[in-house]
Amino acid sequence: MNTKTLEAVYIDKNIELVNGCRKGDREAQFALYKLYEKAMYSAALRILNHEGEAEDVLQEAFLEAFTRIGDFRGDTTFGLWLKQIIIHKSINSLRKRKAEIVSLDGVDVAEEVLSDERAMEWKVEGIKAAMKELPDGYRVVLTLYLFEGYDHEEISHILKISEATSRTQLMRAKLKLKNMLEKKGARDEYRN
Amino acid sequence: MSTEIEDFIKANKKDFDTDRPKADMWAKIEEVLDKEDKKKKVNLLMWIGIAASVIVLMSITLLYISPLKKERVNLADVNPAYAKKQLRFASLIEEKRDSLEVFAASDPELYKKFNGDLSQLNRAYEDLKKTLPSSPNQQLVVKAMVKNLEIQLQLLNQQLSIISEVSAYKKENSI
Repeated sequence: MNTKTLEAVYIDKNIELVNGCRKGDREAQFALYKLYEKAMYSAALRILNHEGEAEDVLQEAFLEAFTRIGDFRGDTTFGLWLKQIIIHKSINSLRKRKAEIVSLDGVDVAEEVLSDERAMEWKVEGIKAAMKELPDGYRVVLTLYLFEGYDHEEISHILKISEATSRTQLMRAKLKLKNMLEKKGARDEYRN
Repeated sequence: MSTEIEDFIKANKKDFDTDRPKADMWAKIEEVLDKEDKKKKVNLLMWIGIAASVIVLMSITLLYISPLKKERVNLADVNPAYAKKQLRFASLIEEKRDSLEVFAASDPELYKKFNGDLSQLNRAYEDLKKTLPSSPNQQLVVKAMVKNLEIQLQLLNQQLSIISEVSAYKKENSI
């Protein structure tokens, strides 16, 4: 009951801000910017792994959202709509930087099975740091799949790769991420 | 396998959104938005200007055209049957006026009196014609116009019969 009413209030507040945006109200635009600044920038950064490019994408995406607010018909939330713009712009930006995002001959990953997985602590900052070390192709598939909730069919469309490639990339990305985290964990253990 | 990382990320997605853009990001966005607004305003003003001149041009043309148009109100448009009657009466009246004029030379005084009666009716007819375009009930006006012509015709008929009687009388007397 309580969560439902809270949710309703939250949605209403957003609708008001979106309606303000439709009228070009600068305060409503600023409020929406503040509301989504971190989530959107973080999403762009996860895909691009480059602060300058992520900032460019963020600026372009917000401008597009505000100037083309008429295209937003409210069949989804403003946040999801904005996120779609961010993701598409990020991938386009990455594509400009790299002719081919996904290279199958990525880093070879040794599939070593670790003795005690539970001993490992998946710290947010640790994972983020490790993700930055991933090759672009791995990182993008991992991001779209884990963070943005895209399935392999959607990823294959958005990245113009086959679904099988998407699956392979995801598997390799996860393995590599795990490896890096374990190595880091081992290092930390030595230090302690 | 590596489901632990997966589960951890899925469960704590929001905690990963910790990065912030540079502080001047909003200022940059606002600057572009302000420029767009200005462009829009200029565009809007331009369109308002165009719309205004179109309206002015249209009203000028309407002002010039509409009186002409009003004068051209056609009886046939209002009531075709009456328009036919009007045409028939008008030609008959023309004919009879000609016969009356022939007589004018022989009795100018009587002709003047007859003509005065006729022109009074004719003036009423012209008045009706003038009110026709702006009248809310054009049918009624046309009806009155045709009735007027009918009366003119009757009057002319009577005038002509009086004249023929007078001339017959004169002839009889002169013999």
